[in-house]
Amino acid sequence: MDVKKARERLRGILLITALIIGAVIMLFPFFWMIFVALKEPGHGFKLDFVFAKPLWNNFVAVWKNTAFPFSKFFRNSLFVATSGAFLTALFCSMGAYVFAKKNFVLKEVIFWMMLSTLMIPGMMFMVPQFAIVTKLGWINTYRGMIIPHVANVFGLFLLRQHMETIPDSLLNSAQIDGASEWQIYKNIIVPLSMPVITTVFLLTFLFQWTNFLWQLVVNTPDSMKLTLPVGLALFRGQYSTEWTLLMAASAFSIIPIAVLFIFAQRFFIEGLTAGAVKE
Amino acid sequence: MAIKNKILRENITSYIFLGPFLIIFLVFLAYPIFYSLIISMHKVSWSTDLYKVFSDMKFVWFRNYVRLFDDSRFWWSLIVTAYYAVLTIPLSVFLGLLLAILLNNKLPGVSFFRSAYFLPSVLDVLVVGIIWSLIYSPHFGILPKILNSLGIKTFTETGVLANSRTALPGVALAMVLRGAGFGMILFLAAIQNIPVSVYEAADIDGANPWQKLIYITIPLVKPIIFFLVIMGTIASLNAFTEIYAMTQGGPYVVEFMGGIQGATRVSGYYLFEKWDTMQYGYAAAVSYVLLFITLVISLVNAKIMRNKK
Repeated sequence: MDVKKARERLRGILLITALIIGAVIMLFPFFWMIFVALKEPGHGFKLDFVFAKPLWNNFVAVWKNTAFPFSKFFRNSLFVATSGAFLTALFCSMGAYVFAKKNFVLKEVIFWMMLSTLMIPGMMFMVPQFAIVTKLGWINTYRGMIIPHVANVFGLFLLRQHMETIPDSLLNSAQIDGASEWQIYKNIIVPLSMPVITTVFLLTFLFQWTNFLWQLVVNTPDSMKLTLPVGLALFRGQYSTEWTLLMAASAFSIIPIAVLFIFAQRFFIEGLTAGAVKE
Repeated sequence: MAIKNKILRENITSYIFLGPFLIIFLVFLAYPIFYSLIISMHKVSWSTDLYKVFSDMKFVWFRNYVRLFDDSRFWWSLIVTAYYAVLTIPLSVFLGLLLAILLNNKLPGVSFFRSAYFLPSVLDVLVVGIIWSLIYSPHFGILPKILNSLGIKTFTETGVLANSRTALPGVALAMVLRGAGFGMILFLAAIQNIPVSVYEAADIDGANPWQKLIYITIPLVKPIIFFLVIMGTIASLNAFTEIYAMTQGGPYVVEFMGGIQGATRVSGYYLFEKWDTMQYGYAAAVSYVLLFITLVISLVNAKIMRNKK
Protein backbone atom coordinates (compact mmCIF):
# COMPACT_ATOMS: atom_id res chain seq x y z
CA MET A 1 0.00 0.00 0.00
CA ASP A 2 2.82 2.40 0.88
CA VAL A 3 4.51 1.67 -2.41
CA LYS A 4 1.39 2.64 -4.26
CA LYS A 5 1.10 5.88 -2.30
CA ALA A 6 4.72 6.75 -2.95
CA ARG A 7 4.24 6.07 -6.65
CA GLU A 8 1.19 8.34 -6.74
CA ARG A 9 3.20 11.04 -5.04
CA LEU A 10 6.14 10.68 -7.43
CA ARG A 11 3.74 10.87 -10.36
CA GLY A 12 2.23 14.09 -8.99
CA ILE A 13 5.66 15.68 -8.54
CA LEU A 14 6.71 14.71 -12.06
CA LEU A 15 3.47 16.10 -13.51
CA ILE A 16 3.82 19.41 -11.70
CA THR A 17 7.44 19.73 -12.80
CA ALA A 18 6.36 19.14 -16.41
CA LEU A 19 3.59 21.73 -16.06
CA ILE A 20 5.99 24.30 -14.60
CA ILE A 21 8.54 23.77 -17.39
CA GLY A 22 5.75 24.11 -19.95
CA ALA A 23 4.48 27.34 -18.40
CA VAL A 24 7.99 28.81 -18.27
CA ILE A 25 8.55 28.06 -21.96
CA MET A 26 5.17 29.38 -23.09
CA LEU A 27 5.28 32.55 -21.00
CA PHE A 28 8.98 33.17 -21.60
CA PRO A 29 8.49 35.79 -24.38
CA PHE A 30 6.15 37.71 -22.10
CA PHE A 31 8.66 37.86 -19.23
CA TRP A 32 11.55 38.52 -21.58
CA MET A 33 9.69 41.55 -22.95
CA ILE A 34 9.26 43.00 -19.46
CA PHE A 35 12.84 42.16 -18.47
CA VAL A 36 14.32 43.92 -21.52
CA ALA A 37 11.89 46.84 -21.20
CA LEU A 38 13.23 47.54 -17.70
CA LYS A 39 16.89 47.56 -18.72
CA GLU A 40 19.27 50.45 -19.23
CA PRO A 41 19.28 51.51 -22.93
CA GLY A 42 22.15 49.74 -24.69
CA HIS A 43 21.91 46.74 -22.38
CA GLY A 44 19.00 45.17 -24.23
CA PHE A 45 21.19 42.37 -25.56
CA LYS A 46 23.42 41.84 -22.55
CA LEU A 47 22.73 39.07 -20.10
CA ASP A 48 23.25 41.30 -17.08
CA PHE A 49 21.08 43.00 -14.52
CA VAL A 50 21.76 46.64 -15.31
CA PHE A 51 18.33 48.19 -15.05
CA ALA A 52 17.19 51.63 -16.12
CA LYS A 53 17.12 54.38 -13.48
CA PRO A 54 14.40 54.99 -12.60
CA LEU A 55 13.18 51.51 -13.43
CA TRP A 56 10.28 52.70 -15.61
CA ASN A 57 12.44 55.13 -17.60
CA ASN A 58 11.92 53.36 -20.96
CA PHE A 59 8.17 53.38 -20.50
CA VAL A 60 8.17 57.13 -19.84
CA ALA A 61 10.48 57.76 -22.82
CA VAL A 62 8.17 55.84 -25.15
CA TRP A 63 4.98 57.30 -23.70
CA LYS A 64 6.25 60.86 -24.17
CA ASN A 65 8.07 60.32 -27.49
CA THR A 66 7.27 63.29 -29.72
CA ALA A 67 7.78 61.61 -33.12
CA PHE A 68 5.90 58.46 -32.05
CA PRO A 69 3.48 59.55 -29.31
CA PHE A 70 2.54 56.24 -27.76
CA SER A 71 0.20 57.95 -25.31
CA LYS A 72 -1.81 59.06 -28.34
CA PHE A 73 -1.58 55.65 -30.04
CA PHE A 74 -2.84 54.12 -26.81
CA ARG A 75 -5.84 56.44 -26.65
CA ASN A 76 -6.63 55.82 -30.33
CA SER A 77 -6.46 52.06 -29.84
CA LEU A 78 -8.64 52.29 -26.77
CA PHE A 79 -11.24 54.31 -28.66
CA VAL A 80 -11.22 52.03 -31.73
CA ALA A 81 -11.44 48.85 -29.64
CA THR A 82 -14.10 50.14 -27.23
CA SER A 83 -16.44 51.70 -29.77
CA GLY A 84 -15.93 48.78 -32.18
CA ALA A 85 -16.80 46.32 -29.43
CA PHE A 86 -19.82 48.35 -28.32
CA LEU A 87 -21.28 48.69 -31.83
CA THR A 88 -20.63 45.02 -32.57
CA ALA A 89 -22.30 43.85 -29.35
CA LEU A 90 -25.28 46.16 -30.00
CA PHE A 91 -25.85 45.30 -33.68
CA CYS A 92 -25.15 41.58 -33.20
CA SER A 93 -27.59 41.30 -30.29
CA MET A 94 -30.29 43.21 -32.20
CA GLY A 95 -29.84 40.99 -35.25
CA ALA A 96 -29.61 37.83 -33.16
CA TYR A 97 -32.90 38.66 -31.43
CA VAL A 98 -34.89 38.64 -34.65
CA PHE A 99 -33.04 35.58 -35.95
CA ALA A 100 -33.92 33.73 -32.76
CA LYS A 101 -37.50 34.91 -32.25
CA LYS A 102 -39.03 36.27 -35.47
CA ASN A 103 -40.00 35.07 -38.90
CA PHE A 104 -39.29 37.30 -41.85
CA VAL A 105 -38.89 37.17 -45.60
CA LEU A 106 -35.50 35.82 -46.79
CA LYS A 107 -34.51 34.74 -43.28
CA GLU A 108 -32.99 31.44 -44.45
CA VAL A 109 -31.24 33.04 -47.44
CA ILE A 110 -29.61 35.70 -45.27
CA PHE A 111 -28.65 33.06 -42.71
CA TRP A 112 -26.83 30.91 -45.26
CA MET A 113 -25.20 33.92 -46.86
CA MET A 114 -23.76 34.88 -43.48
CA LEU A 115 -22.71 31.35 -42.65
CA SER A 116 -20.80 30.98 -45.92
CA THR A 117 -18.64 34.05 -45.26
CA LEU A 118 -17.44 32.53 -41.98
CA MET A 119 -15.05 30.17 -43.75
CA ILE A 120 -13.35 32.82 -45.89
CA PRO A 121 -9.92 33.94 -44.64
CA GLY A 122 -10.03 37.67 -43.78
CA MET A 123 -7.04 38.46 -46.04
CA MET A 124 -9.31 37.89 -49.04
CA PHE A 125 -11.43 40.91 -48.17
CA MET A 126 -8.51 43.29 -47.90
CA VAL A 127 -8.40 44.69 -51.45
CA PRO A 128 -12.15 45.19 -52.04
CA GLN A 129 -12.69 46.56 -48.53
CA PHE A 130 -9.81 48.96 -49.06
CA ALA A 131 -11.38 50.04 -52.36
CA ILE A 132 -14.76 50.66 -50.69
CA VAL A 133 -13.19 52.58 -47.80
CA THR A 134 -11.17 54.69 -50.25
CA LYS A 135 -14.27 55.50 -52.29
CA LEU A 136 -16.17 56.46 -49.15
CA GLY A 137 -13.31 58.78 -48.17
CA TRP A 138 -12.76 56.91 -44.91
CA ILE A 139 -8.95 56.69 -45.11
CA ASN A 140 -7.31 57.92 -41.86
CA THR A 141 -10.59 57.91 -39.93
CA TYR A 142 -11.90 55.96 -36.94
CA ARG A 143 -14.94 54.97 -39.03
CA GLY A 144 -12.69 53.35 -41.61
CA MET A 145 -10.96 51.25 -38.95
CA ILE A 146 -14.07 50.26 -37.01
CA ILE A 147 -17.14 49.91 -39.25
CA PRO A 148 -16.01 47.33 -41.84
CA HIS A 149 -15.48 44.82 -39.00
CA VAL A 150 -18.64 45.49 -37.01
CA ALA A 151 -20.73 42.85 -38.83
CA ASN A 152 -19.32 39.95 -36.79
CA VAL A 153 -21.18 36.89 -38.05
CA PHE A 154 -19.68 34.61 -35.39
CA GLY A 155 -20.92 36.95 -32.66
CA LEU A 156 -24.41 36.99 -34.13
CA PHE A 157 -24.60 33.18 -34.26
CA LEU A 158 -23.29 32.88 -30.72
CA LEU A 159 -25.99 35.25 -29.45
CA ARG A 160 -28.75 33.70 -31.53
CA GLN A 161 -27.94 30.28 -30.10
CA HIS A 162 -28.32 31.66 -26.59
CA MET A 163 -31.45 33.73 -27.30
CA GLU A 164 -33.28 30.71 -28.70
CA THR A 165 -33.27 29.30 -25.15
CA ILE A 166 -35.22 32.30 -23.77
CA PRO A 167 -38.83 31.07 -23.40
CA ASP A 168 -41.38 32.60 -25.81
CA SER A 169 -43.96 32.83 -23.02
CA LEU A 170 -41.83 35.51 -21.36
CA LEU A 171 -41.90 37.63 -24.51
CA ASN A 172 -45.61 36.99 -25.12
CA SER A 173 -46.65 38.07 -21.64
CA ALA A 174 -44.59 41.26 -21.99
CA GLN A 175 -46.35 41.90 -25.29
CA ILE A 176 -49.74 41.45 -23.66
CA ASP A 177 -48.69 43.97 -21.02
CA GLY A 178 -48.19 46.40 -23.89
CA ALA A 179 -44.40 46.42 -24.14
CA SER A 180 -42.99 47.60 -27.47
CA GLU A 181 -40.47 45.53 -29.42
CA TRP A 182 -37.65 47.82 -28.33
CA GLN A 183 -38.72 47.48 -24.69
CA ILE A 184 -38.80 43.70 -25.01
CA TYR A 185 -35.32 43.75 -26.50
CA LYS A 186 -33.96 46.20 -23.93
CA ASN A 187 -35.66 44.93 -20.77
CA ILE A 188 -35.87 41.18 -21.37
CA ILE A 189 -33.53 39.99 -24.12
CA VAL A 190 -30.47 42.07 -23.22
CA PRO A 191 -30.45 41.40 -19.46
CA LEU A 192 -30.99 37.66 -20.00
CA SER A 193 -28.18 37.51 -22.59
CA MET A 194 -25.71 39.67 -20.71
CA PRO A 195 -23.02 36.98 -20.21
CA VAL A 196 -22.95 36.19 -23.93
CA ILE A 197 -23.10 39.88 -24.88
CA THR A 198 -20.11 40.44 -22.58
CA THR A 199 -18.28 37.61 -24.33
CA VAL A 200 -18.95 39.15 -27.75
CA PHE A 201 -17.89 42.56 -26.44
CA LEU A 202 -14.61 41.25 -25.03
CA LEU A 203 -13.73 39.12 -28.06
CA THR A 204 -14.40 42.07 -30.38
CA PHE A 205 -12.38 44.37 -28.14
CA LEU A 206 -9.49 41.93 -28.39
CA PHE A 207 -9.93 41.61 -32.16
CA GLN A 208 -10.00 45.37 -32.76
CA TRP A 209 -7.11 45.97 -30.37
CA THR A 210 -4.87 43.59 -32.34
CA ASN A 211 -6.27 44.16 -35.86
CA PHE A 212 -2.90 45.24 -37.21
CA LEU A 213 -3.25 44.55 -40.94
CA TRP A 214 -6.50 46.44 -41.41
CA GLN A 215 -5.35 49.42 -39.34
CA LEU A 216 -2.16 49.50 -41.42
CA VAL A 217 -4.21 49.45 -44.62
CA VAL A 218 -6.64 52.22 -43.61
CA ASN A 219 -4.03 54.63 -42.21
CA THR A 220 -1.30 56.47 -44.06
CA PRO A 221 1.89 56.87 -41.97
CA ASP A 222 1.10 60.55 -41.27
CA SER A 223 -2.41 59.77 -39.99
CA MET A 224 -3.50 61.35 -36.72
CA LYS A 225 -5.48 58.22 -35.86
CA LEU A 226 -2.63 55.69 -35.73
CA THR A 227 -3.21 52.84 -33.29
CA LEU A 228 -0.71 50.99 -31.08
CA PRO A 229 0.22 48.12 -33.43
CA VAL A 230 0.67 50.43 -36.44
CA GLY A 231 2.59 52.94 -34.32
CA LEU A 232 4.77 50.12 -33.03
CA ALA A 233 5.53 48.90 -36.56
CA LEU A 234 6.49 52.42 -37.69
CA PHE A 235 8.54 52.99 -34.53
CA ARG A 236 10.38 49.76 -35.19
CA GLY A 237 11.18 50.94 -38.72
CA GLN A 238 13.05 53.92 -37.21
CA TYR A 239 14.60 52.37 -34.12
CA SER A 240 15.06 48.74 -35.04
CA THR A 241 18.02 48.32 -32.67
CA GLU A 242 16.62 50.14 -29.63
CA TRP A 243 15.30 46.96 -28.09
CA THR A 244 14.75 48.41 -24.62
CA LEU A 245 12.42 51.08 -26.02
CA LEU A 246 10.78 48.65 -28.44
CA MET A 247 9.94 46.23 -25.66
CA ALA A 248 8.56 49.04 -23.48
CA ALA A 249 6.36 50.10 -26.41
CA SER A 250 5.27 46.47 -26.89
CA ALA A 251 4.30 46.26 -23.24
CA PHE A 252 1.76 49.04 -23.73
CA SER A 253 -0.03 46.79 -26.20
CA ILE A 254 0.33 43.53 -24.28
CA ILE A 255 -0.23 44.41 -20.63
CA PRO A 256 -3.81 45.80 -20.90
CA ILE A 257 -4.89 42.61 -22.69
CA ALA A 258 -3.15 40.41 -20.15
CA VAL A 259 -4.88 42.25 -17.29
CA LEU A 260 -8.25 42.09 -19.05
CA PHE A 261 -7.73 38.38 -19.61
CA ILE A 262 -6.92 37.68 -15.97
CA PHE A 263 -10.13 39.35 -14.80
CA ALA A 264 -12.45 38.10 -17.52
CA GLN A 265 -10.98 34.80 -18.71
CA ARG A 266 -14.23 32.93 -18.14
CA PHE A 267 -15.85 34.99 -20.92
CA PHE A 268 -12.93 34.52 -23.30
CA ILE A 269 -12.87 30.78 -22.76
CA GLU A 270 -16.64 30.37 -23.12
CA GLY A 271 -16.73 32.42 -26.31
CA LEU A 272 -13.81 30.70 -27.95
CA THR A 273 -14.92 27.18 -27.09
CA ALA A 274 -18.58 27.72 -28.02
CA GLY A 275 -17.76 27.66 -31.73
CA ALA A 276 -15.91 24.37 -31.62
CA VAL A 277 -17.74 22.17 -29.15
CA LYS A 278 -21.14 22.58 -30.84
CA GLU A 279 -20.74 20.29 -33.82
CA MET B 1 -56.58 41.14 -42.67
CA ALA B 2 -55.46 41.21 -39.04
CA ILE B 3 -53.14 38.25 -39.63
CA LYS B 4 -51.69 39.86 -42.74
CA ASN B 5 -51.05 43.04 -40.77
CA LYS B 6 -49.30 41.08 -38.06
CA ILE B 7 -47.01 39.36 -40.57
CA LEU B 8 -46.21 42.69 -42.18
CA ARG B 9 -45.44 44.24 -38.82
CA GLU B 10 -43.19 41.35 -37.83
CA ASN B 11 -41.28 41.73 -41.09
CA ILE B 12 -40.84 45.46 -40.60
CA THR B 13 -39.70 45.04 -36.99
CA SER B 14 -37.29 42.30 -37.98
CA TYR B 15 -35.66 44.35 -40.71
CA ILE B 16 -35.39 47.40 -38.44
CA PHE B 17 -33.59 45.33 -35.79
CA LEU B 18 -31.43 43.50 -38.29
CA GLY B 19 -30.88 46.62 -40.42
CA PRO B 20 -27.64 48.05 -39.01
CA PHE B 21 -25.96 44.65 -39.02
CA LEU B 22 -27.31 43.68 -42.41
CA ILE B 23 -26.24 46.90 -44.15
CA ILE B 24 -22.67 46.61 -42.86
CA PHE B 25 -22.63 42.91 -43.72
CA LEU B 26 -23.81 43.55 -47.28
CA VAL B 27 -21.48 46.49 -47.92
CA PHE B 28 -18.30 45.14 -46.31
CA LEU B 29 -18.61 41.34 -46.53
CA ALA B 30 -21.07 40.23 -49.22
CA TYR B 31 -20.48 42.88 -51.88
CA PRO B 32 -16.64 42.61 -51.66
CA ILE B 33 -16.83 39.00 -52.89
CA PHE B 34 -18.25 40.23 -56.21
CA TYR B 35 -16.42 43.54 -56.21
CA SER B 36 -13.13 41.68 -55.80
CA LEU B 37 -13.86 39.76 -59.01
CA ILE B 38 -14.49 43.03 -60.85
CA ILE B 39 -11.31 44.64 -59.52
CA SER B 40 -9.34 41.55 -60.49
CA MET B 41 -10.20 42.18 -64.13
CA HIS B 42 -8.84 45.72 -63.97
CA LYS B 43 -5.48 47.36 -63.91
CA VAL B 44 -4.48 50.53 -62.07
CA SER B 45 -3.88 53.33 -64.54
CA TRP B 46 -0.82 55.14 -63.32
CA SER B 47 -1.86 58.61 -64.53
CA THR B 48 -4.69 58.85 -62.02
CA ASP B 49 -4.52 60.63 -58.67
CA LEU B 50 -4.53 58.54 -55.52
CA TYR B 51 -8.04 59.25 -54.36
CA LYS B 52 -9.65 58.20 -57.64
CA VAL B 53 -7.48 55.18 -58.22
CA PHE B 54 -10.37 52.71 -58.08
CA SER B 55 -12.66 54.70 -60.40
CA ASP B 56 -10.00 55.12 -63.08
CA MET B 57 -8.95 51.50 -63.44
CA LYS B 58 -8.57 49.99 -66.90
CA PHE B 59 -10.53 46.85 -67.87
CA VAL B 60 -8.14 44.09 -68.96
CA TRP B 61 -10.34 40.97 -69.02
CA PHE B 62 -8.52 37.96 -67.55
CA ARG B 63 -5.01 39.26 -68.15
CA ASN B 64 -4.21 39.37 -64.42
CA TYR B 65 -5.10 35.69 -64.09
CA VAL B 66 -2.98 34.77 -67.12
CA ARG B 67 -0.06 36.66 -65.62
CA LEU B 68 -0.66 34.94 -62.30
CA PHE B 69 -0.37 31.55 -63.96
CA ASP B 70 3.20 32.36 -65.03
CA ASP B 71 4.17 34.05 -61.79
CA SER B 72 6.84 31.93 -60.09
CA ARG B 73 6.57 34.03 -56.93
CA PHE B 74 2.88 33.25 -56.60
CA TRP B 75 3.38 29.50 -57.01
CA TRP B 76 6.25 29.63 -54.58
CA SER B 77 4.10 31.48 -52.04
CA LEU B 78 1.53 28.67 -52.24
CA ILE B 79 4.25 26.10 -51.53
CA VAL B 80 5.48 28.14 -48.56
CA THR B 81 1.90 28.45 -47.27
CA ALA B 82 1.40 24.68 -47.48
CA TYR B 83 4.73 24.14 -45.73
CA TYR B 84 3.71 26.62 -43.02
CA ALA B 85 0.46 24.69 -42.53
CA VAL B 86 2.38 21.40 -42.27
CA LEU B 87 4.74 22.93 -39.72
CA THR B 88 2.08 24.52 -37.53
CA ILE B 89 -1.02 22.31 -37.60
CA PRO B 90 0.26 18.89 -36.43
CA LEU B 91 2.50 20.48 -33.82
CA SER B 92 -0.22 22.64 -32.33
CA VAL B 93 -2.70 19.74 -32.28
CA PHE B 94 -0.09 17.58 -30.55
CA LEU B 95 0.91 20.27 -28.05
CA GLY B 96 -2.70 21.21 -27.30
CA LEU B 97 -3.63 17.59 -26.65
CA LEU B 98 -0.52 17.00 -24.53
CA LEU B 99 -1.23 20.02 -22.33
CA ALA B 100 -4.89 19.02 -21.98
CA ILE B 101 -3.95 15.48 -20.90
CA LEU B 102 -1.43 16.85 -18.38
CA LEU B 103 -4.02 19.25 -17.00
CA ASN B 104 -6.73 16.59 -16.79
CA ASN B 105 -5.27 15.37 -13.49
CA LYS B 106 -6.25 16.23 -9.96
CA LEU B 107 -3.33 18.43 -9.01
CA PRO B 108 -2.89 21.59 -6.99
CA GLY B 109 -2.82 24.73 -9.12
CA VAL B 110 -4.42 23.22 -12.22
CA SER B 111 -6.55 26.30 -12.89
CA PHE B 112 -3.47 28.51 -12.59
CA PHE B 113 -1.63 26.48 -15.22
CA ARG B 114 -4.69 26.46 -17.45
CA SER B 115 -4.73 30.27 -17.44
CA ALA B 116 -0.96 30.48 -17.90
CA TYR B 117 -1.08 28.29 -21.02
CA PHE B 118 -4.11 30.00 -22.45
CA LEU B 119 -2.90 33.58 -21.91
CA PRO B 120 -0.40 33.76 -24.83
CA SER B 121 -3.13 32.90 -27.34
CA VAL B 122 -4.98 36.19 -26.70
CA LEU B 123 -1.85 38.35 -27.10
CA ASP B 124 -1.11 40.46 -30.17
CA VAL B 125 0.57 38.45 -32.96
CA LEU B 126 2.59 41.48 -34.07
CA VAL B 127 4.06 42.03 -30.61
CA VAL B 128 4.71 38.34 -30.00
CA GLY B 129 6.49 38.23 -33.37
CA ILE B 130 8.66 41.22 -32.49
CA ILE B 131 9.59 39.68 -29.12
CA TRP B 132 10.57 36.42 -30.81
CA SER B 133 12.69 38.23 -33.37
CA LEU B 134 14.62 39.63 -30.37
CA ILE B 135 14.93 36.15 -28.87
CA TYR B 136 16.11 34.72 -32.21
CA SER B 137 18.52 37.50 -33.25
CA PRO B 138 22.10 36.65 -34.23
CA HIS B 139 25.05 36.97 -31.78
CA PHE B 140 23.06 38.52 -28.95
CA GLY B 141 19.65 36.82 -29.03
CA ILE B 142 19.03 34.68 -25.98
CA LEU B 143 18.27 31.50 -27.95
CA PRO B 144 21.42 31.50 -30.14
CA LYS B 145 23.40 32.33 -26.98
CA ILE B 146 21.96 29.36 -25.09
CA LEU B 147 22.53 27.05 -28.07
CA ASN B 148 26.04 28.42 -28.45
CA SER B 149 26.90 27.52 -24.89
CA LEU B 150 25.62 24.01 -25.62
CA GLY B 151 28.02 23.81 -28.56
CA ILE B 152 25.48 24.46 -31.36
CA LYS B 153 27.01 27.32 -33.30
CA THR B 154 24.74 27.22 -36.39
CA PHE B 155 22.72 30.26 -35.33
CA THR B 156 25.49 32.47 -33.96
CA GLU B 157 26.15 34.31 -37.23
CA THR B 158 22.70 34.41 -38.84
CA GLY B 159 20.28 33.99 -35.98
CA VAL B 160 17.30 31.75 -36.61
CA LEU B 161 15.40 33.97 -39.02
CA ALA B 162 18.16 34.89 -41.49
CA ASN B 163 18.85 31.24 -42.22
CA SER B 164 16.62 30.05 -45.06
CA ARG B 165 16.24 26.55 -43.57
CA THR B 166 15.23 27.61 -40.09
CA ALA B 167 13.36 30.86 -40.80
CA LEU B 168 9.91 29.39 -41.39
CA PRO B 169 10.20 26.72 -38.68
CA GLY B 170 11.28 29.54 -36.36
CA VAL B 171 8.15 31.54 -37.16
CA ALA B 172 6.04 28.39 -36.83
CA LEU B 173 7.49 27.52 -33.41
CA ALA B 174 6.76 31.02 -32.10
CA MET B 175 3.17 30.86 -33.36
CA VAL B 176 2.56 27.31 -32.10
CA LEU B 177 3.77 28.24 -28.62
CA ARG B 178 1.49 31.27 -28.75
CA GLY B 179 -1.59 29.39 -29.96
CA ALA B 180 -1.31 25.97 -28.28
CA GLY B 181 -3.40 27.13 -25.32
CA PHE B 182 -6.44 27.55 -27.57
CA GLY B 183 -6.30 23.90 -28.66
CA MET B 184 -5.66 22.89 -25.06
CA ILE B 185 -8.87 24.58 -23.85
CA LEU B 186 -10.92 22.82 -26.55
CA PHE B 187 -9.36 19.42 -25.87
CA LEU B 188 -9.79 19.86 -22.14
CA ALA B 189 -13.51 20.59 -22.53
CA ALA B 190 -13.91 17.53 -24.77
CA ILE B 191 -11.94 15.20 -22.49
CA GLN B 192 -13.92 16.27 -19.46
CA ASN B 193 -17.10 15.39 -21.36
CA ILE B 194 -15.99 11.75 -21.68
CA PRO B 195 -17.85 9.72 -19.02
CA VAL B 196 -15.57 8.36 -16.27
CA SER B 197 -17.32 4.99 -16.60
CA VAL B 198 -15.69 4.47 -20.00
CA TYR B 199 -12.24 4.69 -18.41
CA GLU B 200 -13.32 2.54 -15.48
CA ALA B 201 -14.50 -0.16 -17.87
CA ALA B 202 -11.11 0.00 -19.59
CA ASP B 203 -9.40 -0.32 -16.19
CA ILE B 204 -11.35 -3.49 -15.48
CA ASP B 205 -10.26 -4.88 -18.84
CA GLY B 206 -6.67 -4.14 -17.81
CA ALA B 207 -5.92 -1.35 -20.27
CA ASN B 208 -2.74 0.64 -19.63
CA PRO B 209 -2.70 4.48 -19.83
CA TRP B 210 -1.25 4.41 -23.34
CA GLN B 211 -4.03 2.14 -24.62
CA LYS B 212 -6.63 4.34 -22.96
CA LEU B 213 -5.20 7.33 -24.82
CA ILE B 214 -5.12 5.62 -28.23
CA TYR B 215 -8.44 3.74 -28.03
CA ILE B 216 -10.62 6.04 -25.94
CA THR B 217 -9.40 9.62 -25.67
CA ILE B 218 -8.19 10.29 -29.22
CA PRO B 219 -11.23 8.80 -31.03
CA LEU B 220 -13.55 10.82 -28.77
CA VAL B 221 -11.77 14.14 -29.35
CA LYS B 222 -11.62 13.69 -33.14
CA PRO B 223 -14.14 16.49 -33.84
CA ILE B 224 -11.79 18.90 -32.03
CA ILE B 225 -8.83 17.69 -34.13
CA PHE B 226 -10.86 18.30 -37.30
CA PHE B 227 -11.87 21.74 -36.09
CA LEU B 228 -8.26 22.65 -35.32
CA VAL B 229 -7.10 21.40 -38.73
CA ILE B 230 -9.69 23.57 -40.49
CA MET B 231 -8.88 26.61 -38.33
CA GLY B 232 -5.17 26.00 -38.89
CA THR B 233 -5.67 25.84 -42.66
CA ILE B 234 -7.55 29.14 -42.65
CA ALA B 235 -4.89 30.66 -40.37
CA SER B 236 -2.13 29.59 -42.78
CA LEU B 237 -3.92 31.15 -45.74
CA ASN B 238 -4.42 34.23 -43.57
CA ALA B 239 -0.85 34.34 -42.25
CA PHE B 240 0.56 37.81 -42.60
CA THR B 241 1.28 39.60 -39.32
CA GLU B 242 3.79 37.05 -37.98
CA ILE B 243 5.73 37.18 -41.28
CA TYR B 244 5.61 40.98 -41.31
CA ALA B 245 6.89 41.11 -37.74
CA MET B 246 9.62 38.48 -38.02
CA THR B 247 11.04 38.06 -41.55
CA GLN B 248 9.28 40.32 -44.10
CA GLY B 249 9.16 37.27 -46.35
CA GLY B 250 12.93 36.76 -46.33
CA PRO B 251 15.63 35.61 -46.49
CA TYR B 252 15.49 35.99 -50.28
CA VAL B 253 17.85 33.22 -51.27
CA VAL B 254 15.77 30.27 -52.51
CA GLU B 255 15.86 29.42 -56.22
CA PHE B 256 12.62 28.26 -57.76
CA MET B 257 11.21 28.38 -61.34
CA GLY B 258 14.07 30.63 -62.43
CA GLY B 259 13.63 33.27 -59.76
CA ILE B 260 15.03 34.10 -56.33
CA GLN B 261 12.30 33.52 -53.75
CA GLY B 262 11.73 34.52 -50.15
CA ALA B 263 11.99 31.55 -47.81
CA THR B 264 9.02 32.73 -45.71
CA ARG B 265 6.92 34.60 -48.26
CA VAL B 266 3.54 33.00 -47.62
CA SER B 267 0.64 33.84 -49.91
CA GLY B 268 -0.86 36.30 -47.43
CA TYR B 269 2.37 38.26 -47.36
CA TYR B 270 2.67 38.14 -51.15
CA LEU B 271 -0.87 39.52 -51.42
CA PHE B 272 0.08 42.32 -49.03
CA GLU B 273 3.16 43.18 -51.11
CA LYS B 274 1.00 43.46 -54.24
CA TRP B 275 -1.37 45.76 -52.34
CA ASP B 276 1.53 47.75 -50.89
CA THR B 277 2.97 48.41 -54.37
CA MET B 278 -0.50 49.52 -55.56
CA GLN B 279 -1.06 46.61 -57.96
CA TYR B 280 -4.68 46.42 -56.82
CA GLY B 281 -6.03 44.50 -59.80
CA TYR B 282 -3.33 41.89 -59.51
CA ALA B 283 -3.76 41.69 -55.72
CA ALA B 284 -7.49 41.09 -56.20
CA ALA B 285 -6.70 38.28 -58.65
CA VAL B 286 -4.35 36.72 -56.09
CA SER B 287 -7.06 36.88 -53.42
CA TYR B 288 -9.62 35.35 -55.78
CA VAL B 289 -7.40 32.36 -56.48
CA LEU B 290 -6.77 31.99 -52.74
CA LEU B 291 -10.51 32.16 -52.11
CA PHE B 292 -11.03 29.40 -54.65
CA ILE B 293 -8.36 27.25 -52.96
CA THR B 294 -10.02 27.84 -49.58
CA LEU B 295 -13.37 26.72 -50.98
CA VAL B 296 -11.86 23.52 -52.39
CA ILE B 297 -10.18 22.75 -49.07
CA SER B 298 -13.41 23.38 -47.14
CA LEU B 299 -15.37 21.08 -49.46
CA VAL B 300 -12.79 18.31 -49.16
CA ASN B 301 -12.81 18.74 -45.39
CA ALA B 302 -16.60 18.59 -45.25
CA LYS B 303 -16.57 15.43 -47.37
CA ILE B 304 -13.97 13.71 -45.16
CA MET B 305 -16.01 14.66 -42.09
CA ARG B 306 -19.20 13.21 -43.53
CA ASN B 307 -17.48 9.97 -44.53
CA LYS B 308 -16.00 9.53 -41.05
CA LYS B 309 -19.42 9.91 -39.49
